[in-house]
Amino acid sequence: MTPTRSTFAGLETWEIVFWYGLIALSTAVFAWGVVRLVLKYRRGRGPLRFDRPWTRLRRAATVVFTHSWIKRRDPLAGAGHFLIFYGFVVLFLGTVILAFQDDVAKPILGWHFFRNGFYEAYSLFLDVFGVALVVGLAIMAYKRGIQKPFRLSYRRPDRTESETERRAYVIGDWTFLGILFFLALTGFLLEAFRIAESNPSFEVWSPLGWAAGHALRGIGVSGEAASTAHFVQWWVHGVVALGFVASIPFTKAVHMLTSPASVATREERAAQELVPIPAGAKPDEVGFGTILDFPARYLLQFDACTKCGKCHAACPATNSGYPLSPRDLILDLREVAEGALGLRRELGIPPLHDPAASVLGDPIRPETLWSCMQCMACVEICPVGIEHVPIINGMRRRLVEQGEMDSSLQQTLESIYETGNSFGETGRKRARWTRALDFEVKDIRKEPAEILWFVGDYASFDPRNQLVTQTLARVLQHAGVDFGILYDAEHNAGCDVRRVGEEGLFNHLREQNVATISRCTFDRILTWDPHSFHTLRNEYPTFGVDWEVVHHSQLLLELIEAGRLAPSKTLDYRVTYHDPCTLGRYNGVYDEPRRVLAAIGTELVEMPRSRDNSFCCGAGGGRIWMSELKREDAPRPSEQRIDEAVALGNVDHFVVCCPKDVTMYEDAIKTSGHQGDIELRELTELVWESLDLPALVAAATHEREEEQA
Amino acid sequence: MKIVVCVKQVAVLGDEVEFTDDARDVDPDFLDASLNEWDSYATEEALRIRENAGSDGDEIVVVSVGDGDVEPAMRRCLAMGADRATRIDHSGSRDPITIARLLAPVVNAESPDLVFCGVQSSDAVQAATGTALAELLDLARVAVVTRIELDTGARRATVHRELEGGLVDVTEVDTPALLTIQTGINQPRYATLRAIKQAEQEPIQVVAAGEEGEPAYRVRRMFAPPKGEGAELLDGSAADIARRIAGIVQERLK
Repeated sequence: MTPTRSTFAGLETWEIVFWYGLIALSTAVFAWGVVRLVLKYRRGRGPLRFDRPWTRLRRAATVVFTHSWIKRRDPLAGAGHFLIFYGFVVLFLGTVILAFQDDVAKPILGWHFFRNGFYEAYSLFLDVFGVALVVGLAIMAYKRGIQKPFRLSYRRPDRTESETERRAYVIGDWTFLGILFFLALTGFLLEAFRIAESNPSFEVWSPLGWAAGHALRGIGVSGEAASTAHFVQWWVHGVVALGFVASIPFTKAVHMLTSPASVATREERAAQELVPIPAGAKPDEVGFGTILDFPARYLLQFDACTKCGKCHAACPATNSGYPLSPRDLILDLREVAEGALGLRRELGIPPLHDPAASVLGDPIRPETLWSCMQCMACVEICPVGIEHVPIINGMRRRLVEQGEMDSSLQQTLESIYETGNSFGETGRKRARWTRALDFEVKDIRKEPAEILWFVGDYASFDPRNQLVTQTLARVLQHAGVDFGILYDAEHNAGCDVRRVGEEGLFNHLREQNVATISRCTFDRILTWDPHSFHTLRNEYPTFGVDWEVVHHSQLLLELIEAGRLAPSKTLDYRVTYHDPCTLGRYNGVYDEPRRVLAAIGTELVEMPRSRDNSFCCGAGGGRIWMSELKREDAPRPSEQRIDEAVALGNVDHFVVCCPKDVTMYEDAIKTSGHQGDIELRELTELVWESLDLPALVAAATHEREEEQA
Repeated sequence: MKIVVCVKQVAVLGDEVEFTDDARDVDPDFLDASLNEWDSYATEEALRIRENAGSDGDEIVVVSVGDGDVEPAMRRCLAMGADRATRIDHSGSRDPITIARLLAPVVNAESPDLVFCGVQSSDAVQAATGTALAELLDLARVAVVTRIELDTGARRATVHRELEGGLVDVTEVDTPALLTIQTGINQPRYATLRAIKQAEQEPIQVVAAGEEGEPAYRVRRMFAPPKGEGAELLDGSAADIARRIAGIVQERLK
């Protein structure tokens, strides 16, 4: 007997015709579902950009086939998805091969390849991947039903229990798992009944089906009984499978289409480098207010979300009792988009949401948007490439345009406009920190220097940070670096102003800084403020300047490696290092500060959340200028971070390299009750200490003690 | 309905101050400029009245006295939503009576239903311009207003005045009237930089100053007050200092 099987064995002609009718129906519903999704996305603002198509397709293919984004920070779930994905793909391809054989190869080409060796290999292959699918589904069911990680809980930080309606999501999640499991199970049963019927020896190549078939024969199911069961099972499996295919564009399964599309269409640097507001935009064209204001790719991203909750688990706001979860924000927007532009519209049913109504207020509450620290933890970990940060920023822009903001934020923005700094101090005080130095700092507006040091607001005005700024000046002087500052002509660089959503003020500040800096002669710009670093380096060039900008952690390493700084005293401290969001996730500068710490002899112990998983101090996105929005009695992000560092055990110093971190963590060490357990050090302070120049270190330490007293 | 808001660009002192050579003024190098805080509340109140009770054709006109340097403050009001601005070109004496004399004919020509002034300016703190202007225009005047309920049909307003000790005086006034607006009456809106930039493109009408008359006062000399006597510097540990302070307080309370 030739190893093969007939697809339609035992079926009447009318049954086969009926079957093909079902296939046509299923495909039609699927196609209609896809078309209406595309139509929905096309109603977003602007076209869906797809420049550099090969790069985009390669990225999407890599992400999908290697699961590089899906497996991050949860290898078990990654493995589960991997098994389901390849199981599903192989079983689907198996069906396609069969269809090709039955509908093209055999009837048209007269080519019957589905037999002998090919059939046996096919059988084995599909059996193995069928098992993979089942194992993958079991892993996911375990995660969702037994392990129940925080990220999969639908509890919302921005709503009370009674305001949260997530039953449909829970049903959707389990139905999706259930249907796939049902399809795999009925597939195996189908195979088992077929084998049980006549027990052909070559079917040993379907090992699981073979075993199951033999088990059935063992309990007396064979021959006619198995044939009848096979017939019933064939229809059950077939109809459910076709139903599943038809349902894909309407259920959680849609992510099989939307997630790869989202990864392909996302903009690589959209979270880091915000898009300018077009010149001459009217107030209702500024940012996002209605669902129609969102670009097409964001409407697509809303549908790409799989509710995996990795953003929810990473978000410092969510984890500190702020009324924001990036996951729920995206899901709310998805519900508005679907309710306003989705299925109901196609079916002629009145929409659930008025497409022209603002989403601000309901369902997206202003306090939700103001809770965001724009730290990019969500964007970094999202396995489907959703750009939460610019989405939130766009809605903030609209709030700012409408004047709806926290009064302390409003005061700060007004101060920045009037004085050029967030402290509301007169510009003349900006360089007052230089008075404590025993040398003059060049005014780079008047004489050229190798390095233009852009100091930044916190580093200039905040007393604790001034100590670091002074120490950095001494280090540079000691290393013979030729540097100058802008004195009162420096203005806030605008990084956080932009992240707040006040694009006009950002442009105003940028224009002033560009005008000043462009008149100076220098090789490179230095700053120890990662926010200024980010904006000068990445966001000013959009407007036609091209400067080399370095962070002091990079310059310090360079000076040490070049021998211009010679650490002579080995610091046998055990330290941990906090990656600033704008330095790490925004700019990928992870190694330089660590290499500096190694070069001066400290022992670095990493916190559980480090590098790309660093946990924001809570100051980002302009939050440092706003009043508290935290609802629950949860520790602040900065306090949780200190707890995390102290839990490492016997860590001497919590090392930072960002002025806002200095402020936030000096405070958090006190408020978290860890004074005495750990001390804050800015990277420069440790470098200075390692240079072993006793007199000045003593002075700096003394000043710090005074400051703390 | 038309509301005229009289606004001032005030000087803001840093913590370092030097005087001009003739010692009659602060060296402008040590001054920043800003829209007077009270006037931003007055402007906001006018905008709110228009938004809540207004009708088509309502107009909010900002008027200020000064040279071209005071225009940023006026543009701030335009950015908040005022319809137009008139600057009375003047660079001499800034005493409140002179300013009121210069404002009077221009405000009068507008025939407003309401005239708003801030209670006072944050730099000169005379709190006199509004009252003087009401007198010159022969308008009813209510000072230190913290709430306005306007009945446009009856041309009447019920206003709350803030008195000492937390008392509130509720007064009815027929319009036209002049009200001096107290801070806290509202929360002035944020003027986005986009709006400020757009306001920079809007024309500001400049009119010549009328008869300014004799100044009400002249500055003879400005100086930093001599350091007072009786300051005592306490030394020692925090606990010592606290004990000493407690002792001094008890001593003085006797």
